[in-house]
Amino acid sequence: MKRKTWVWLFVVASLVLWGLLLLVPGGKKQEIQIAKEFEPEVLVKLPTVGPFDLSITKAVAYLLVALGVIVVLSFVINRTLKTHPGRFQYAVEAIYDLTRSGIVDSVMKSGAETWFPYIGSVFVFVLVSNLIGLIPLPFGEHHQPSFYAATANLYCTAGLALCTFVFTHAAGMRKNGVVHYFGNWAPPSAPPVLKQLIWVIHAVSEIFRLVSLSVRLFANMLAGHAILAVFFAMALIFQSYAAAVLLQGGSVLIYLFEIFVAFIQAFIFAILSAVYIGGALDQEH
Amino acid sequence: MDKEAAKLLGAGLAMGIGALGPGLGLGLMIGKALESIARQPEVSGDVRTNMFIGIGVTEAVALYAFVVALILIFVA
Repeated sequence: MKRKTWVWLFVVASLVLWGLLLLVPGGKKQEIQIAKEFEPEVLVKLPTVGPFDLSITKAVAYLLVALGVIVVLSFVINRTLKTHPGRFQYAVEAIYDLTRSGIVDSVMKSGAETWFPYIGSVFVFVLVSNLIGLIPLPFGEHHQPSFYAATANLYCTAGLALCTFVFTHAAGMRKNGVVHYFGNWAPPSAPPVLKQLIWVIHAVSEIFRLVSLSVRLFANMLAGHAILAVFFAMALIFQSYAAAVLLQGGSVLIYLFEIFVAFIQAFIFAILSAVYIGGALDQEH
Repeated sequence: MDKEAAKLLGAGLAMGIGALGPGLGLGLMIGKALESIARQPEVSGDVRTNMFIGIGVTEAVALYAFVVALILIFVA
């Protein structure tokens, strides 16, 4: 038989199988709380020192895993550097080249040498913790494997955004002088009343940069994991094996899209940090 | 209307209407970027970098709507 006939046979057979699945009664009804998946529950209880609760929650565990992965990978790549790179070294060099020429050199006019280490390490950290979030790790209820990511927690992303915020203004003040830096937030040629208004608008926009930088990463990662959880949970809600087969297929596609999103979000976080720091170093007005 | 029903309805409306604007904006922006790359392929690197910056800034608006919807469902 020809190959085309086999393909058609396969399609018809899978449709018939799927139709048969419609006749099978679903499993027993189950209550699902999707919001509970994203509560950072405490894994190891530690004492509270002053205002800080030192307990290791799910988010902290993911942070430590990401840290461990980055440290081990750095040591391995540092010990096995070769002049003729293998596949692994080639991948790491591609990431270096992306952060160096793709992000820092193409966006920052001055200060690329000084700020490349920060931008590069933020990129690698966000990328690694986004990708680790796509591997089910046994930190769920009763040590079940579950999806979570350190960057799907607002405190973690707010901390990263706060680093960028502080570095932006510290770099701007160090290079341009404190008075000159804040004075340049409004164009000197503007009329006096308008100038104050522009200055206030600029100050508000600086605060909103901090909010948008942290909420963007957090909401993207949380939305991706929530969609995956909804796809898994819908199979239980519909109580039908036929729906479950379709939804599992759909969740594979969403998963592939999430890998893309993990990369894009790391890229956007790093490039926006570079844009903000570069903008504070070379003020336009 | 029941309070629970109003919360869920509000969350759905916030996400749906909130996704309209950024969707239009993203479509317009990526379309224009592809147009300019097709016209002048030698500047594709620069256009792509700036396009990603624009995507990040535009997409944040939809994510604010997402956060508002989450707050309506789980916190309010």
